[in-house]
Formats: sequence, C-alpha cells, structure tokens
Amino acid sequence: MIGGFLKNLFKNKVMLLMVLPGTLWFLFFAYLPMLGTIIAFKQYRYSRDGFLASIVQSKWVGFDNFKFLFSTNDAYVITRNTLLYNVAFITLGLILSVILAVVLSEIANKKLAKVYQTGMFLPYFLSWVVVGYFAFSFLSMDRGMLNQITGWFGMDPIQWYSDPKYWPYFLVLIFLWKAVGYNSVVYLAAIMGIDRSLYEAAMIDGASKWQQIRSITIPMLKPIITIMTLLAIGKIFYADFGLFYQVPRDSGTLYSVTNVIDTYVYRGLKTTGEIGMSTAAGLYQSVVGFVLVMTSNYIVRKVDKDSALF
Amino acid sequence: MKKKKSFTIMLATLMACTLTLSACGGNKDNSASSGGSSEKPVELIWYTIGAPQKDTDLVIAEVNKYTKEKINATVKMKMIDYGDYSQKMQVMAASGEPMDILFTSSWAFDYVQNARKGAFTPIDDLLTKEGKGITETLDSAFLEGSKVDGKNYGVPANKELPALEAWRFNKELLEKYNLDISEVKSLESVEPLLKTIKENEPNVTPFAISKDYMPLMPFDYLIEKMPMAVKLDTTDYKVVNLLETPELKASLATMHKYYKAGYVSPEAATTTSTDDLMKTGKWLMDRASTQPLADNQWSASYGYPVVSTPAGDSIVFNWSVMGSMQAISANSKYPEKAMEFLNLLNTDKYLRNLLDSGIEKVHYEKIGENMMKNLPDSKNYDIPTFSIGNVLLTYLNEGDPENKWDEFKTFNDAGKNAPLLGFNFDTSKITNEIAAVQNVKEEFWSSLMTGTVDPDVYLPKALEKLKAAGLDKIMAEAQTQVDAWVATKK
Repeated sequence: MIGGFLKNLFKNKVMLLMVLPGTLWFLFFAYLPMLGTIIAFKQYRYSRDGFLASIVQSKWVGFDNFKFLFSTNDAYVITRNTLLYNVAFITLGLILSVILAVVLSEIANKKLAKVYQTGMFLPYFLSWVVVGYFAFSFLSMDRGMLNQITGWFGMDPIQWYSDPKYWPYFLVLIFLWKAVGYNSVVYLAAIMGIDRSLYEAAMIDGASKWQQIRSITIPMLKPIITIMTLLAIGKIFYADFGLFYQVPRDSGTLYSVTNVIDTYVYRGLKTTGEIGMSTAAGLYQSVVGFVLVMTSNYIVRKVDKDSALF
Repeated sequence: MKKKKSFTIMLATLMACTLTLSACGGNKDNSASSGGSSEKPVELIWYTIGAPQKDTDLVIAEVNKYTKEKINATVKMKMIDYGDYSQKMQVMAASGEPMDILFTSSWAFDYVQNARKGAFTPIDDLLTKEGKGITETLDSAFLEGSKVDGKNYGVPANKELPALEAWRFNKELLEKYNLDISEVKSLESVEPLLKTIKENEPNVTPFAISKDYMPLMPFDYLIEKMPMAVKLDTTDYKVVNLLETPELKASLATMHKYYKAGYVSPEAATTTSTDDLMKTGKWLMDRASTQPLADNQWSASYGYPVVSTPAGDSIVFNWSVMGSMQAISANSKYPEKAMEFLNLLNTDKYLRNLLDSGIEKVHYEKIGENMMKNLPDSKNYDIPTFSIGNVLLTYLNEGDPENKWDEFKTFNDAGKNAPLLGFNFDTSKITNEIAAVQNVKEEFWSSLMTGTVDPDVYLPKALEKLKAAGLDKIMAEAQTQVDAWVATKK
C-alpha cells in the first residue's frame, strides 16, 4: 500500500514538484491560520509565553464576540448595504466588463485597442485614498468641480458629503470605473481564445456582427462568466473597505448608505481593540460566503453541469 | 537513480526551509541564562514612536558603548511612525513578538487597555530596586496617575503634567486688523474677531477646525471622545451623558451659528487635518493644547508669529499624565535590565541628550553650558523629544530662556487634579455596547461638534440612537465602577 503510494509519488514527481510551492503557500497562509478562528470564541489576553500560550490561556466566551454584529438596528443597515452594493457591483460589473471586452475585441485597429485597454486598466492600480481625493476634487462643497459647473447654471452649491441620497450612485459609479477595465481583460482573453473559424463560418452564412456576438461570443463566454460570478458571490459579504471609508471621507451623515460590515467592525473596535471580536466578524463573513458559494454552485450544477466550479 | 536522489535532496531542502521559517516564530530561550553575570551584555529590544531616522544606527552604536560600560546592556531601537504605531504594536503584542521596552500612551498603543490585556510587566517592584532614580526625579503625580488597578506598568516621561487648552492666533492678521485677544476666553467671546476677518479677508478661514474638533467642555471623560463624563467640579461623581447637558447644547448652538456664518470650513466635518491652513497661514485662530513657551515653538515651526491665550483651566487628566510612557513588555526576558536602562535614560544627562539630539559635533554642537544648536546633519536624526524620557534633562535649544525647565515645574504645580484622576474605566464587560455606541457616535459626532448640522434637529436623533445602542448600560456600568473607586479613596 505504502509502496504503491511512493511509486505513484515517483511517477508524478514533476507534476508534484510544480504544485509544491502552491501547496505550501496554501498550507501556511490559508490552512494554518484557520486554527486561529478559535480566537473568535475567546476573550483574547496576552500571555508572556507567546502567541500559542495566549490562545490557550484566554477565557472561552462562546458566541459573545459575535453579539455586537447583531445587537443594534445598525446590523440591518450594514447587512443591507453590504449585500445590495455587492449585488450591484457583481451584475453591473459583469455586464459592463463583457460589453467592454466585446467592443475592444471588435476594434479593427489593434494598436488603438491596446491604448483604450490600458486607459481602462489604469484606475485599477490606484489606491482608494487617491481615488478618494479625485472624488473630493469633484465633490468638495466650496472648491469642487461639480458645484462650480452647477453654479454656472445658477444652481445652489450642494453639500455632497452630507447628503446620503446621491451616494449609492457615486459609489457604484466609482467602483465600476475602477474595476471594469481590469475584469474586462479576463473576458477579452477568453474571446481571443474562441476559434476564428466559427466566425468565418457565420460570416459565410451571412450573419451580422450582432448575430455573431449573440450566437458565438456570448455562449462561448458563458463558462468563464459563471466562474467569475461564482467567485464574486463568495465575497459578497466582504465590502471594499477603502471604497466605503476613504471615498466618502468617513462622513458621519452618510453612514446610512456607506456603512458596511467592514467599516462597522473597524469603527466599533478601534477603541477597544478586541481581537476576538474582529476575528468573529471575519469568521461570520467567511461562513456566509462559503454557504453562498456552495448553494449557488449547487444551483449552477443543476442547470448546467459543465459550468459549475466543482 | 541519480534523478531520484536530486529530487529527494530538493524536497529535503524545501522541508528544511519551511521548518526554519516556522521555527522563527517560536524560539523562546536561545540565550537565556546569561542574565546576571558580567560576561555577555544583554541586548534590549526597544520599540518607540516616530519616523525612522537615517542615523539611528550611528547614534545607537554610540549609546551602546556607553550603556555596555554602565549597566552591561545594549539596546536595539526600532522606530515606527505615528500613523502605524498603534496598529503594528497591537499585532506584535498579540502575537508575542520578542521585545523588551515599548512606547505606550493614552493616544497611541493605548496604555490602560494594553496593561489590562497583559501586554506589560508590572513595574512596582522594579521601581523600588532598579528604578530608584526615576521615583526620585519624577513628579509623584505621574506615577500615581498612571496606575492601572493599583499597579504601575509604565515609566512616564517627566514633562508637562496638566493639560491646558489655548486659542492660537495668527499674529499677522491680529495686527493688521488691530484685534485684541486679552478679553478672549470662551467660545462665544471670539465672535467679533471671526466676524472682522470673515468680512475683510474672504480667502482666510477664520476658525481652523478639523473633524477631531470638539468644543472645550468642563467635563472629565471616562473614555476620551465618548459621551460619558463627570463634571470637573463634581462632588457626587455622577456620570452624565455629555449630549444631554445644557453646556454642550449651548456650545453646539454657537458652533452651528459659526458654521452658518462661514467662520469654519464648509468641509470641516470631513477634514482630517488643518495642516494646509497652517502652512499657508490663511487662518485666524484655532484651538490647541499648550505648554510653557509653546508660542515660540509654533512660530518657529510655521515660520510666522503665532500667539495664544488660555481657553480653559490647567487640569491634570488621566490622559495628560499618560501622554508619553515607556513600558516593559510582558514577554521581556530581562525586565531588571530594561528597568536599569530606563532608569539611566531618565536620570543620566549624557545618555538622554545623546538619544535625543544625536552625537555631539555631528548632529549638534554645544553653545553654552546647557544649550545646544542643531547642525545641518540633525535632519538625519530627529526624534520626538517627549517620547523617550525625562524632557527636563535635555539641553535647551538656541533662543530658549534659561529658566525654561523652571517654567515647566511652575506649570506642573499649577495644574488642578481632574475628578477621575487615577480611575480607569474597565470596559471588558460591555465591549459589545461600546462597539455599537462607537458606531453611532461616529455617525453624529463630527457633524455636530463642528456645527455642520443643526443641533436642535440632530442632537435628539443622536441621543435616541445612542440609547438604542446601549449607552445607558455603559453609563450604569461606569457609575458602578466610579462609585466603587470613590469608596476606596475615602
């Protein structure tokens, strides 16, 4: 039995060697830290004998660390905001990225296409702090560009940072501006991989550009679209901290539309610094994400077995 | 066969690598038993606050020469910048990173909380033995005020003890419009000045405030910037909700009036710093905490004259006592040596100035018995003077009056004790409520305090939400703890 195992090991040594760095990475940075989730059920106190001793000696508190996530009516607001924003990001992001990828692939001048692509790609590399200042240069009450433009038409300046009703649009817009260029590259690569002869055959049959896109490009993209969406659903309970904290400049009056799980946890714990409570929040997000991925994958498998993740 | 061998070797190497990696975290006693004897000097690992400096190694080499001789110990100083300090230290303390001495305070890497979580070694015994010099030189109010549950966990730096808030003014503008600040004290009293500037200088922000601003209130807070407080002149130690007090209501109404009049920036509630105003000089006044001769310091650092006048009384708060401390880490292998070093640092003039200003004739030169002048190279070694120890030992800067430290002593003696001095709120039973209240507070605080919103509308809203989040429970717990503490004092 063991001999067989070793023989098998030897036979696949090249493959195994190739997978080794990745395995080690996962082992040390993904599986090993998972043991730390027990901190979520403890009141973490430091021990002089190091980290492991601290974990062992800290008091068990059951689910106490999770309470703060659900104890107030803010719990509803943050859950709603996190979920709805992410749903908007996933659907709009998907639609726009695919459209953009198709458009880019159809541009005849390849050099120009590269220029557009790079331009779309750039915002992805900006930090949210920088994006926050970009937004501020538009939205500042006294010096912002937007208020100056509306001023030309005789409108009163608007206090953008204290009026929640505009922010759902701003946040979605800013997110898409930053993310779409990057995501479209994935779809563009997939389009490039589609067999050209399919299009040639379609053209001979007299299919228009629109028909080609609808009947060849989109169906061929379906598997990758499904995978990307499933992966995004796994992160539906995580919100981009920078987007929701830096971009609205942490303005209190906007919390009803900008407070998400991650910012709530940050604000709630920065004075007490309880590691147990932040671990609890992280665990909660992971568990919900896990459940959502499993269910949506299950549904996908029922509908179309080949598109499912596993 | 040969192929197989090379693969096994590679696998073994990889395994070895990972083992060493994982071992890094867990090594505890690699050189334990060399504490007492005079053979091998002990190396103390020291984390302190401030931007890392280019010449740190150079200066520390010089420090080590001296300390090796004096106490048979060397230090390894690691500096972490202001913005990162709390967070990085929190992680390092939680993960048991080896360290001996570390900076802590009421405003960075919170002293009381981390003492309670067990990050520091209690130093009461060490102070009576290795730290005698400290107890002799330090104003006893410092050690008394920085006790947590009856024990000392850190050595406070000898410096200004009370907190005194002052209105600061841009002197050029005062002179241009012939404004008089001798009558200024309350928030209401500055209105005519603000008005003059608003009318005559459209490009100047009359009252420079950021989102951290709050009106000066005669209260002692249980947690800084949280609404639970005790009145400064209290006799019954009743914990009140700041937002329900008539004093705050009146001040917020004034702030809202100022906001509507355009005396403060329309973006005040989201502005994180007023540095750009200070740099350009386009401001008339703001509020800041002061200390003796602060006007000179401000004027020197901004490059134009700044004058100030007190905005309140000089009071010794918990947080002002704990403004700057050096503690000994709970996992330190050499707590006695660490205390010996701290003792030397707080009593030895040569060591203190070496660490503060760098090497003589490289970073500074002496221009008198007790006075120095920075040399151009001082920009390579510029660390916050207040952060590492006894400030009163440092040489005077060029232009400082001879009696500077005497003025500090007078200033310290003039401070009145705040009612809760020595009391530390233990939040471990109400962490959930604190987290919830904190979120509600952040939602309303800045916009109310800066006057951005109408207090008549938003104050009741904030109160209602705070109560729903559990503020009453926190106040009740606070009252119980305060009462118990008052009882032990009598």
